[in-house]
Amino acid sequence: MAEATEDLDKICNTLDKLTLDALSLMEEEILLKLNVENAMCGGESHLAKARYIMGQNSVSCLQLPTENSPEFSAVAKVYASEDDKLFGEKSYELQLTKKTEDESVQDPVRWFGVLVPQNLNYAQNMFRQALQWAVQAVNVQTQLEQTIIKIQQLKAAKAAVTAK
Amino acid sequence: MALHSAVKGKLISVIGDEDTCVGFLLGGVGEINKNRHPNFLVVDKNTAVSEIEDCFKRFIKRDDIDIILINQNIAEIIRHVIDNHNSPIPAVLEIPSKDHPYDASKDSILRRAKGMFNPDELL
Repeated sequence: MAEATEDLDKICNTLDKLTLDALSLMEEEILLKLNVENAMCGGESHLAKARYIMGQNSVSCLQLPTENSPEFSAVAKVYASEDDKLFGEKSYELQLTKKTEDESVQDPVRWFGVLVPQNLNYAQNMFRQALQWAVQAVNVQTQLEQTIIKIQQLKAAKAAVTAK
Repeated sequence: MALHSAVKGKLISVIGDEDTCVGFLLGGVGEINKNRHPNFLVVDKNTAVSEIEDCFKRFIKRDDIDIILINQNIAEIIRHVIDNHNSPIPAVLEIPSKDHPYDASKDSILRRAKGMFNPDELL
């Protein structure tokens, strides 16, 4: 009987801690997404300026590669590593491949022409910043998901102990 | 750096409107693999819901994509498909778009987290 009460206490304490963690992770996630939004807005306004200089159709999805384009590798990739904070799930880190390391990598600014306005380079930097924030948001999101799963498991355990 | 050459980098895919896709592809996430499959989809007003759903499901199945960035307004259109995706990989991140600022109340993961604080479930 005393053992059951002790178990219940332990479960409740852990539940409290995890619930507080979940709340702060939710806040962190929202802040990171707002950072992504700000970086994207900055990038989009530079894209708009570049479009104003180069013409409506020069900075649009017409410049993007399609299925008929030659194959090429991504410049920005994510590398996963195991993280104890995430209860064993992976955490990600963004890496930008340098041109000299991999021949099949091309700078995307080239798709828009050889002499492009500086705005396009500024836009590229802003979107790369947005990518960094996005990868951080993914890590926080994974942590939040795992915390929610743990909370649900503990609630089930608590219900089982209370039913005895 | 030596550690990363042993581990293969995974891709970030994008499902978004024109500006979102142009922007992130400018950032360098785009790739066309040897099967001629892109890792992005530009969604405009003429894109069918089924096309968005099929693309999302294809990206989920690919093992070289670990993160899917999707505009929140497009995520609303295929909400039922996203809510059914429970595995942590690939991670689905809902991002705002130029015309639709971020709305935390529509975010899938935050809605699920908020549901935990339902008074009926708080024992």
